[in-house]
Amino acid sequence: MALDADALARCVKRIAYEIHERHSAAERLALIGIIRRGANLAERIATILNQTGRPLVEVGTLDISSYRDDDKSTPGDPRLLGRNIPFSLDDRNVVLVDDVLYTGRTVRAALAALADLGRPRSIELAALVDRGRRELPIRADYVGKNIAAPEGQRVYVKLSEVDGVDAVVIGETKPEAF
Amino acid sequence: MPRLAKSDLVSIEDLPLSDIERIFELADSFSQAIERGETRRIAEGLIMATLFYEPSTRTRLSFESAMHRLGGTVISSPDMHTSSAAKGESLADTVRVVSAYADIIVLRHPSDGAAQVAAEYASVSVINAGDGSREHPTQTLCDLYVLRRKKGHLKGLTVAICGDLKFGRTVHSLIYALARFGANIVTAPFSGMELPDYVLDRIAAERNYRFSTVSLEELKSDQGSFDALYLTPNAPHQMALFTDANPLQDVPAARAPASLDAFYLTRLQRERLAGSNATPCNYAPFDARALRSSRTHRAVVMHPLPRTDEVAYELDSDPRAVYFEQAAAGVPVRMALIAWLLENRSRPAKRGNTSSIPFRGGTAPRCANPSCITRREGAYLRPRFRFAPTTNREHLALRCDFCERNLRVDYVGHTTSRRYYHFDESLHGYVRQWVEDGTLAVFDSVKEAEERGYEPYRRGPQREIMNSEEIAAACQAIAAQITADVVDPTMLAIVGVVSRGALLALRLRELVGRQTGVRPPCAAIDVYGQTALQPLDDTASFDVDGRLIILVDDVINSGWTVQRAMTLLWQQGRPAGVKLAVLIDRGHRALPIRPNYIGKSIPTSRTDRVQVRIAADEGGKPGERVLLYSLLESPKTAENPA
Repeated sequence: MALDADALARCVKRIAYEIHERHSAAERLALIGIIRRGANLAERIATILNQTGRPLVEVGTLDISSYRDDDKSTPGDPRLLGRNIPFSLDDRNVVLVDDVLYTGRTVRAALAALADLGRPRSIELAALVDRGRRELPIRADYVGKNIAAPEGQRVYVKLSEVDGVDAVVIGETKPEAF
Repeated sequence: MPRLAKSDLVSIEDLPLSDIERIFELADSFSQAIERGETRRIAEGLIMATLFYEPSTRTRLSFESAMHRLGGTVISSPDMHTSSAAKGESLADTVRVVSAYADIIVLRHPSDGAAQVAAEYASVSVINAGDGSREHPTQTLCDLYVLRRKKGHLKGLTVAICGDLKFGRTVHSLIYALARFGANIVTAPFSGMELPDYVLDRIAAERNYRFSTVSLEELKSDQGSFDALYLTPNAPHQMALFTDANPLQDVPAARAPASLDAFYLTRLQRERLAGSNATPCNYAPFDARALRSSRTHRAVVMHPLPRTDEVAYELDSDPRAVYFEQAAAGVPVRMALIAWLLENRSRPAKRGNTSSIPFRGGTAPRCANPSCITRREGAYLRPRFRFAPTTNREHLALRCDFCERNLRVDYVGHTTSRRYYHFDESLHGYVRQWVEDGTLAVFDSVKEAEERGYEPYRRGPQREIMNSEEIAAACQAIAAQITADVVDPTMLAIVGVVSRGALLALRLRELVGRQTGVRPPCAAIDVYGQTALQPLDDTASFDVDGRLIILVDDVINSGWTVQRAMTLLWQQGRPAGVKLAVLIDRGHRALPIRPNYIGKSIPTSRTDRVQVRIAADEGGKPGERVLLYSLLESPKTAENPA
């Protein structure tokens, strides 16, 4: 286990405070979570931000999933499956939230989807875990924890909304409780 | 003389209200004739060609049925994608050829504005049967016709439009038409599928419409239930558009309209979403419960069909469900349209483009709409814009003549003085003058203006931050890092952003090639122009799949250029990875992008410009340098800045 429930909560809180510090209350802020654990994290960050007395932060989601094309030997790239962003992104400061930042391919697809929707003023990236080994020139603005896991291993973020427990686990295969 | 003079129906806006009424009168008589089993062979000897670049059952069959019922004949190609279009024939060529075979062309096409192109190139009448997400005027005629038959009139109705309002072309045509009849429109979109801003802007500026949001709570407490909203349970609000005779008056937040005349439901346009199995939100199907309240019990329920699961099947037997009548109206309305074309034998073609802004070569902007026909058939179509009526004078808004989408312009230039300006309110007068003189240029960004050889109107003193030796040393250092990082040099490719990024890419290619012993392929990517990769120098075209791409640009600032370049790369395939090399990182990132290789990092202020001056060769020339200067404000005085 890389993070227990307390440590995970502290990471989320720290990310929220860093976002709050970097964006004054006058700025129009929106959080976009990547489904599904990124969306849950975005909700948690929004809850903390909304306790700071700043105007309510709006939250939307992008559904970006990897798919594999069986006809080709190369793996497919993550792509947009759907979105739920019931507000305009024009001139807004957007924070994209994901659970694990790894190759950067999901983030690239998310940036393309957001650029397609409007003209945001800026897009920042928050990730609970950055496990390095990027394949694209993507970096996170807010990182909960850097975990250098070897290539064959996987990093699982478990959240109580989905998994019944808050934890970050490094494992070879899918854990039982997952 | 041909029996049918050229007269096109591209947009519902082409038809004056009196003509719409006339078409409806004709439709009434044809509808009776069909019921009585009479035939009206007024189109005998005429040939209609149906060109469908997208699948459609209803529209195509109803057009063909209408033509046959009028005694005319129909020719068609089963699927345009398997015929001429697959061979790469342009739309313009196809319609010119088909003009010799038919008297009327009915066109459906996936690109916005395709019908406008067809109308301009065909020598016979063109009827738009749906072009991309732009318009579908004959469907709108059917919708209006049924609405008029059910409500007795079209003036000042209140219509709730629900579902996919973003891509639904039937919806956009319908909203423009309803706005001309002074309707109140309540929109209840699926979340994420809101009416695009350009539709709102257009009816605000042209029809004097005002927008208010109506909260869910307010509607609920106001009149019991407003069940249309359960179509969008995720949406915090819905937007209502009300006609407003006096826009200056400050009106409180809108109340829900007292009663609704119609619900217009639409299907989610899955084929226009990025993913094939997108589900933007969960929604319950529309059923009779929505029609129970006092404000909705007289409303009719419309749907352009096909439905997926927006409308409950139980509603089909309800007399207020009129969607099958809508479909049935397709034939008499389209018969009426053909008859109207015959009546208008001597009508001059009225869609002139005299108001288009004359742009000299290379100074016209590109349409921002990725689905615009000018982006697909750019080989022969010159982008064409006119001024868009706008409510906000701080921006310059142009409207694409083809797809009717507005383009917000931030930078303008004067072609004679070769100066560019950040647009602000004080420049409106000059811009009008430059349009008259044919000297207006518009740019997407400062980068584009400078790419095209324009200088800022005014700038502060410049300072050299790199000389030719430093540039050469930086390229050497970047090439050495790339060589050290790369595992398999045979899978490397170097792609430069036009134009200075491409020059640097060529240099890096030679340096890396010398160090690794394998000269990687090299290409240019033009974020303002073509979408394909342009191989450079002696590179044959190559596949990006599985390659490690070194993306090269001269200066990184916000990161939007890099983001766009990556989007273009991903349209080509799936690279094994992308690493970003820049000569200068000047900060001010607006995106989570970080270069892997940086020649030099320089702290700058937002109003600074960094200009890289390099030549198209091996480099090391004494004149090469990187300059930094600050941009000054646009002129506020009356003096002509040009």
